[in-house]
Amino acid sequence: MKSSQNSILTYILLVLAQILICNFINTGPYVFLTLLPVLILCLPLSIPSIPLMLIAAVSGLAVDWLAEGVTGLNMAAAVPVAFIRNPVARALFGEDQMERGEGFSFRKNGILKISAAILICTSVFLAIYIFLDSAGTRTFLFNLLRFAISLSCGYILAIPVINLLTSGEKK
Amino acid sequence: MSGGGNIFRIVINAAVFILLEVAALVMLSHNGEMQKTWIAKGMHGVYAFFWGGAETVKDYFSLRKQNDMLAEENFRLNKVIREYRMLTGTDIRPDTVPDILGGYRFVHADAVKVSNNKQHNYIILDKGAKDGIEELSGVMTDRGVIGIIDAVGQNFSYARSFKNTGMSVSARLGKEGPVGELMWDGVSSNGAVLKEIPHHIVLHQGDTVYTSGFSAIFPADIPLGVTGEATVVNGSTYDIDVTLFEDFSAIRYVTIVSNTYDEEIAELEGENEE
Repeated sequence: MKSSQNSILTYILLVLAQILICNFINTGPYVFLTLLPVLILCLPLSIPSIPLMLIAAVSGLAVDWLAEGVTGLNMAAAVPVAFIRNPVARALFGEDQMERGEGFSFRKNGILKISAAILICTSVFLAIYIFLDSAGTRTFLFNLLRFAISLSCGYILAIPVINLLTSGEKK
Repeated sequence: MSGGGNIFRIVINAAVFILLEVAALVMLSHNGEMQKTWIAKGMHGVYAFFWGGAETVKDYFSLRKQNDMLAEENFRLNKVIREYRMLTGTDIRPDTVPDILGGYRFVHADAVKVSNNKQHNYIILDKGAKDGIEELSGVMTDRGVIGIIDAVGQNFSYARSFKNTGMSVSARLGKEGPVGELMWDGVSSNGAVLKEIPHHIVLHQGDTVYTSGFSAIFPADIPLGVTGEATVVNGSTYDIDVTLFEDFSAIRYVTIVSNTYDEEIAELEGENEE
C-alpha cells in the first residue's frame, strides 16, 4: 500500500518535472526533452490498457495545459504509448511477468530489454509529437533530425528515471 | 480468457484509443492555428477521397441531363463562332486560343463533391496544386459564379460555394449600370440579393446582373442572374432580389479562373494602404 502510494507520488512529481522542463529549459528547435513515454512505461504492469490510456491522456493534458504547449499535443502523443505499452511489455518481458503483475527493473530484465522498451515507447511518442507539432510546415529532414536527436536525449534521460521508478522491484 | 472475450477486449481498447485520439486532435485543431489549417486540409483530402467514389455513381445517373446541358452550351458557342466569322471574315482555330485570356487563366475542372443544404456550402474540385491551381482563384461556369478556392491540395481543391452566408461577389446591374454586392439569400437554391444599389437608379424587373470585374477574382461581364423585386433599405439604397442562372444542384463541370496580375494588384493595394 505504502509502495503504491510512493509510486503515485513519484509519478506526479515526474509529471511536474516534465512541466518544468517544458517551461524553463530551452533546448532549441532540434531537441525535445520528454519524460512522459518513460513514465507511462513504468506504470505498474498490472494496470489494464483502458485505465492506462486514461492516465496517459490526463498526464498529457496536464503537461499541455501547464506548459507552453498547444492543448492536445502531448495527449495525442501519450495515448498511443499507453495503447502499445502492455503488448510491448508482454513481448519483451514475457507473459509470466505480466500475469504476476510484477514490475520490471534493470537487474531483473537486463539493460537490453529495457532499452528496447524505452526506445519503442519514446519513438512512438516522438514520431507523433513531431509530426503533429510541425503541422506540415517543416521539411522531412528537419523532422528526422529532430526525432533522432530527441530520441537520443530521451534515452539518456530515461535511464535514471527508470532506475528511480523501479528501485523498489526485487531481483 | 476465451477467444471471444479477447476480441471484445481488443475492440473496446481500440474504441477507447480512437476516442481519446479524436478528442486530442479536436483540442489540437481548436488551439493551434497551424494545426487547425493542417488538419482541415487533411480532412478535405479525406472527404474528397470518400465522396469522389459516391459522386462517380451519382454522376453516372445524371449523364442524360449533363448531355442536354452540354449540347445546349455547344449550340450557344457555335452561334458565337458563326457570329465572329461573319463579323471578321476569319475563323477561330482552337489550337491557337491561349489558356490565358484578358489577364485571366482558365482551367477546366470536375466537381467531385458539392454541398448544397447548409448555410456554409462548399465544393471539392478534381484539380489541385499539380494543375497550377492557387488559393483565391474563382470558380465559375458560363451561367455564373460558383465560388472561390479556399484550400488547395496536390490533386484536389476546396472551394467556398457562392451559397455561403457571408460571401459576396461584386456585381453590376446591366453591363453599364451601378455596382453592388451580390450575396446568396440564404434560403433558396437559386436566389440572391444585390445590395447597395443607389436609390436614384431606375430599376426594371428582368434586368441582367453581371460580374463587375472589380474583385480581381472574376472577370467582368459574366451573366449571373436576372433582377426581381426591389426593397428600399434605410431610405438610401435598394436591395434587389436576383434569380440566379446557375442551378447549384446540377453543377458538374466548372472553370477555375485565376487573375494573372493578382500579385501586382495586391502589391499596389498594399503600397497605398501603407
